[in-house]
Amino acid sequence: MSLDNAKILEKDQLEGFLEGLLKDNIVFGPTSKGDLLLFDRVESANGISLGRGNTMNSAKDVLFPQTERLFAYRHGEAGVEIDGPSAVKKGFILFGVRPCDARGLILLDKVFGEPLQDPYYGEKRARTVIISMACETPDPKCFCLAIGGGPCSAEGSDLLFLDLGDQYLVKAGSPKGMDLLKNTVFKKANKEVLARADVVEKEAEESMNQAGMGRVGIGETIEKRLEALFNDPIWDDITESCLGCGICTYLCPTCHCFDILDEAGQSAGERIRIWDSCQFPLFTHQASGVNPRPSVKERFRQRIMHKLCYLPQNGNLPGCVGCGRCVTECPVNLDIREVIQKISAREAE
Amino acid sequence: MSPEVHWMSQLSNEIREAARGLLRDGKAQVIIGFEKGSLSLRGRPCFIRNEKDVERLVWNGFCETNVARYLPKRKGKMAIVAKGCDSRALVELIKENQVTRDQLFIIGVPCEGMIDRHRVEAEMGHDAIIEAEEREESLILRTRDSEKILDRKEYLYENCKACTHPIPVIYDVLIGKPNLQSAQKDFSDVETFGDLSPEERWAYLVQEAGKCIRCYACRNACPMCYCPECFVDISKPQWVGKSTELSDTIVFHLLRAFHLAGRCVACGACEQACPMGVDIRKLNRKLEKDVADLFNHEAGCSLDEVAPLATYRVDDPDSFMVEP
Amino acid sequence: MIETGQWEPKIVAFLCNWCSYAGADLAGTSRIQYPASIRVIRVPCSGRIDPLFILASLQKGADGVLVSGCHPGECHYLTGNYSARRKFALLKNLLEHMGLDEGRVQFSWVSASEGLRFAKVVEEVTARVRALGPANKLMKNVPGGSLDVSAQQ
Repeated sequence: MSLDNAKILEKDQLEGFLEGLLKDNIVFGPTSKGDLLLFDRVESANGISLGRGNTMNSAKDVLFPQTERLFAYRHGEAGVEIDGPSAVKKGFILFGVRPCDARGLILLDKVFGEPLQDPYYGEKRARTVIISMACETPDPKCFCLAIGGGPCSAEGSDLLFLDLGDQYLVKAGSPKGMDLLKNTVFKKANKEVLARADVVEKEAEESMNQAGMGRVGIGETIEKRLEALFNDPIWDDITESCLGCGICTYLCPTCHCFDILDEAGQSAGERIRIWDSCQFPLFTHQASGVNPRPSVKERFRQRIMHKLCYLPQNGNLPGCVGCGRCVTECPVNLDIREVIQKISAREAE
Repeated sequence: MSPEVHWMSQLSNEIREAARGLLRDGKAQVIIGFEKGSLSLRGRPCFIRNEKDVERLVWNGFCETNVARYLPKRKGKMAIVAKGCDSRALVELIKENQVTRDQLFIIGVPCEGMIDRHRVEAEMGHDAIIEAEEREESLILRTRDSEKILDRKEYLYENCKACTHPIPVIYDVLIGKPNLQSAQKDFSDVETFGDLSPEERWAYLVQEAGKCIRCYACRNACPMCYCPECFVDISKPQWVGKSTELSDTIVFHLLRAFHLAGRCVACGACEQACPMGVDIRKLNRKLEKDVADLFNHEAGCSLDEVAPLATYRVDDPDSFMVEP
Repeated sequence: MIETGQWEPKIVAFLCNWCSYAGADLAGTSRIQYPASIRVIRVPCSGRIDPLFILASLQKGADGVLVSGCHPGECHYLTGNYSARRKFALLKNLLEHMGLDEGRVQFSWVSASEGLRFAKVVEEVTARVRALGPANKLMKNVPGGSLDVSAQQ
């Protein structure tokens, strides 16, 4: 962080800044709905709930919607008419995204980007700006630091806001962000502000260690251990309580499996893309009737292998960003950090 | 930790004693109970097979989820820690031949309700909860810079507050307070909802279905949902769409509730599992009332009572039918 | 086919083979007039009816659903209609409790010899549904039923 890529936004300027964004863009951010915080579209600056933990769903929902129409068709008088996705529209601002969720989008950018260039994701991504909010007080469920991220990291964000009490330090994380910093609402920072920001960041990281988490040993070690222990009976023990639902995959900022279905009426229909989950029994059910992952054990193990072994190995990509949602929302509190610890500690038989 | 022995830690000890004895005597190959979770406000199911692991077993207000859910088609002898609703599920599962009575050693625990963690998190403003200490009447929450004391009863799941069967209906040993007060059977919530206009009621259903992300945690947490192939997964023909399209989601919830008619034991595991706060049991409550009113039946209370949709009476009501 | 340009209810009628379907057939051979609103699907027994049939009919655009079987005590399979009666009671109550218009989903007993009765049942159900208007609450939107953000602009 330097004075070239960081500026200040006074807190009383935030509302005006957001209203400005809302004028020409569609803005998404954390919103309070009943007992939950949800990442959803906001219509006004005071619709956003900032500085309060993380949302139940992640920002991936905007760029990779759970249900998305690919095209619609109709048997008209002149033959088959097809409606593709509509033309270019307003920009998307993802505001108040946490650093973990922003980092998760790096994986989705890779999956849906080159060389396949998914047009549905790409079209939205091209007009999306990611403005993140750093975590000065990480939650006990968070482990971004241990898995290659950080509570105040700008990785994956265009702009990162860091709350310094009376003002925000606003740091650019990309060329798009640098451009945004030119907005006159942002004022010049100084060395003293940067020093304060450094302290906030350090304290945030320290608190993660104090929560007893420490580094969970992610990295090459865990990848090799997972490979070595693929057939180990430890998986029977680890997965025994798993319900086999899709909560972990659906709330996860990096999970991206989908299914494509045709929903047809007599003379009209649509092809849709919907989220799918490797935790569902039909995920690997083959036409022959064989299912190579017949029980929750194989399916849960697959999720861990994919996130912590295959993705890092095959593309140096973050399969898990340490947001902790799967830990708190799993109905039986299956904890991926404990899985990592058990695997790390296990002597291969 | 309070100085006097909290009655819940007393129960934890009694459960452990029972478990130790069962494992030693070979009366059970596995004890299915609850252990402390990895975060405050969490407990979780555990499977204990060795005496050295018995210490993991606990009893507290975070022992949510219905562990009877692990029983269908499970082989061997097992002990299970069952609260009132769990025990009712055991009765239904035995009746439906998913497990036999002599496979089970039931450690019955009268239950004082489970704590609604999402509601507690909301009450704390979604600030990071570093520590949660449960006392008999209160819940003490600590964040990094504050402490709040909540009334335990107030923050139970709504379903637990309305519980009519806190004491297990079937057990081999009953520990804890055998004289717990239960709520009166009361379907006024169903009646009140029924007093709304059809448009208001439909709008409510649409609102709740709109929150659903089709993760099927409700179905998978339910002890009575054990079909090898669920109706949503049938593709020949595809009865129910798999997307979050509203009518499909509504059909899923309507039909799952209907499949549970007369079988749902009101444990609330579905709502506890739901990450999005969907009011799932709204549908089940109506069916519970009708099953009681029309067929004089309550699920999970007696091993001798046949499930209402598995039987009939010649004089069953049919005034609802068209009579031109 | 009615081509008046005016909306006419479309009612899916599940009729049990042995009683109600035969009764409907008798109405036809007796030249008894009744509204051409029903689309008949023959099932072996009213007990065969899965609530999915009713819900799927509504999703696909039916304005009403009629299920008709043998009178209690006369079921060809002895007890099918007794089981059905319990299911129907619960299902009708549940759907109407959640706000589905009362009268869209109806059940009746019509025997093989009751051609006139069948016609009367169809008349009554059709009148009820016509008064309610076209159904849209449980109709699946095809296309455009998805809730994705890209459809919002």
